[in-house]
Amino acid sequence: MAHAGTLQIDHLSKQYEVKGEALPVLDDITLTVNPGEFVSIVGSSGCGKSTLLRLIVGLEDDYRGEVRLDGQRIVGTSLNRGIVFQEHRLFPWLTVSQNIALGLLNGKLSEDEKAASVREHIELVGLGGFESAYPHQLSGGMSQRVAIARALVNRPEVLLLDEPFGALDALTRAHLQQELHRIWQAEGITMILVTHDVEEAVYLGDKVVVMEPRPGRIRRIVPVELAHPRDRVGLPFSRIKEDVLAEFAGEAEAAANARHASRDDFDNERAGTRFPLPAGLRFAL
Amino acid sequence: MATTFVPKPLRGFVIPVLIVVTWWAAVRFGWSTSPLLIAPGKVWQTAVEQVASGHVFSALAASLRRDLIGFAIGAFGGLVFGAALGASRLFEKLAGPSFHTLKQISLFAWIPLLSVWFGLGDAAKVAFLSLAAFFPVVLNTFEGIRSVPADLLEVARVLKFNRVQTWAKVILPAASPSIFAGIHLGLIYAWLATLGAEYLLVSGEGIGNTMIDGREHFLMDLVLFGVIVVGLVGFSLNWIASRIEARALAWRGRSVAQF
Amino acid sequence: MKRDLLITADGIAPPSLAPQLHASPVGAALKTQATRWPRLPDWLLAWPLPLAVLAVWTLAAHFEWVAPQVLPAPEAVALTFKESLLSGELWANLQISLLRVLAGFSVGLVGGLALGVAMGLSPTFKDYVYPTFKAFAQVPVLGWLPLLMLLVGIDEALKIILISKAALVPITLNTYKGIQGVPTRYIEVARVLEFTRWQMLSKVVFPAALAPIWNGVRYGLTHAWLALVVVELLASSEGLGYMIVYGRQLFQLDVVLAAVVVVGAVGYALDKLLALAERRLLGWRKEAF
Repeated sequence: MAHAGTLQIDHLSKQYEVKGEALPVLDDITLTVNPGEFVSIVGSSGCGKSTLLRLIVGLEDDYRGEVRLDGQRIVGTSLNRGIVFQEHRLFPWLTVSQNIALGLLNGKLSEDEKAASVREHIELVGLGGFESAYPHQLSGGMSQRVAIARALVNRPEVLLLDEPFGALDALTRAHLQQELHRIWQAEGITMILVTHDVEEAVYLGDKVVVMEPRPGRIRRIVPVELAHPRDRVGLPFSRIKEDVLAEFAGEAEAAANARHASRDDFDNERAGTRFPLPAGLRFAL
Repeated sequence: MATTFVPKPLRGFVIPVLIVVTWWAAVRFGWSTSPLLIAPGKVWQTAVEQVASGHVFSALAASLRRDLIGFAIGAFGGLVFGAALGASRLFEKLAGPSFHTLKQISLFAWIPLLSVWFGLGDAAKVAFLSLAAFFPVVLNTFEGIRSVPADLLEVARVLKFNRVQTWAKVILPAASPSIFAGIHLGLIYAWLATLGAEYLLVSGEGIGNTMIDGREHFLMDLVLFGVIVVGLVGFSLNWIASRIEARALAWRGRSVAQF
Repeated sequence: MKRDLLITADGIAPPSLAPQLHASPVGAALKTQATRWPRLPDWLLAWPLPLAVLAVWTLAAHFEWVAPQVLPAPEAVALTFKESLLSGELWANLQISLLRVLAGFSVGLVGGLALGVAMGLSPTFKDYVYPTFKAFAQVPVLGWLPLLMLLVGIDEALKIILISKAALVPITLNTYKGIQGVPTRYIEVARVLEFTRWQMLSKVVFPAALAPIWNGVRYGLTHAWLALVVVELLASSEGLGYMIVYGRQLFQLDVVLAAVVVVGAVGYALDKLLALAERRLLGWRKEAF
């Protein structure tokens, strides 16, 4: 539907300055997101995945490397790139329709076209009948759906989602994952989802980008070549999920080993042996 | 008092009734020879007189007119000044400390100064009332604007709002609960100040002046009547302000939850 | 950065807000503006405005744009200030005012706490007393002035009564609401742990209600100071308010200004004192936010 361009990230690095010292947040990120693709990004806390998203949407700048959409360098925010945050961030003094219409405020549609677009997107996220409701009357799941509609109403090329379902209960989360998938299939917009829920990442994504922290780097990109609809309990799905999870098990083991290493190294030096590295640790890419 | 003796809704009336009865009895049975002890009935009579002759209305009208004009000036000025403090860090640094210092001066201490600069008439009173409303409005407006959640401002950035749009559609609506609270306080203070102004700048008409007159002529009934009227007006102003606030902020819903 | 906005019947602006507001989102968003200007330290930027005012004032007095009775020269005010300070006049009046406000405030404090606690703990008491109390609270302090003048004359009694009333209303309301507003969750925990009534009060109710009660105490003191100034302006023969009045009547604005400055300074000091005490008593609360 939307002719999205390719999102190309080349050698992206970013650091913050904390009390005069440079704190590296992202280190040499290179990623290509093809038009209409759904990319999931997983990583533990501190791996910079939210920062990455904010750089793409233009809320943060001051980076080294290149971030280009459709060949154009990304500078500041744009109606072409929408974002859904973990908090719904709806304006409490506006109704559902008015909140969604906010996205079109600076759009180039006529009044009628705007109204039609708002109606269409309310239907798209399944909130027909709630046009005049205020945010305080909505549940968490419903509020997030309004946030998604608001982000989509401009028909952006890219939709970024920063742990959008993190604050919701498990049942609502599963339901909204399905909804998001349906919307993605219907609209064909490129979507980039950041999550720490591996199952969610595998369920929704065409590929899963695994990031590791300190500093944030891409460890590995796991392609998910399963047809939709995906069966969460089927074997192929579970394999890929285990594959991704293993990355983190390796990380946990590595952390535990690092703690023991200083002590055990000493012991082993004396005994003349060494602990082998855990099998799950892969530092590809 | 037996707890189950008086049904719940009527309990609030017990004390007032007791007071009035004791008062009436004191007059009836001459418990005191003070000329100040006048019968409740006399107060009622005076009340009727005042209403019938229209005195109370003209006095109230004079007081309220000053009150509302002063309040309007003070509130409007307060909104502008408070918004400026909130909008501009520079302005806050330049004018903020002076403002906070002046704010410390107890309100009524301003009157003698104002009376020298504006005379003893209505101008001084209105100036004083504006001052009374000004301070709370500035404070609450400033706080409201600075408390706008960063989350919502980011949304405005993503949706490419320009400066005007951000102010009109995000900052001011988000600050509105605080701003309304400030205006409400300004109203309360202005009414308080109205009375004070009438006592201290004795000229012209007003409900405060009525009470001062009553006092000077030892007319207890008039004074009591004045007290009741003042209470009623204060209550009504409060009530109206609360209603307006509730309407304008209906989007907040029942819970005083955060955004 | 939350703060109790308990608006009392004859309300008041919340005690000083300025310090907490600098680290706020809009403020941070505006930081980009400030960086455009030369990086002057905050305390330096505070001075241009008052200095400019002072300059205009000096010029106006010097060139007599207005009569000297209306606008005395700043030097005259400073001189008077020094004189009255040295002669002890300022100090004597200040002492009287402070004693009055302390006396009135103490009465209001004790009464307000007692009334508030009683209403908070006993629904029966509240049913009987609260409506009457609220009705009385509708009439601002000044509304009672003529009545009280008739009843007790213009001596100390008048002042103490008015000051106590001014303090009593906010303290009562905040105490009552504070006790009432103790979250049920804590009460439930206490019940499960089988607290006695005394334990419940001393370990749950009062600590939880302490914050709103303290707020009420602060409002009460500010109101008491306010009432003191008015009452001294109207009906006194000594005190800071009196100084202001007689200075005004003799067109000695320098005296007036000196007294006004002291009024402001004391009001500020009283509030700061309570803020300090608050930080000590309620430190745990700040950390929660």
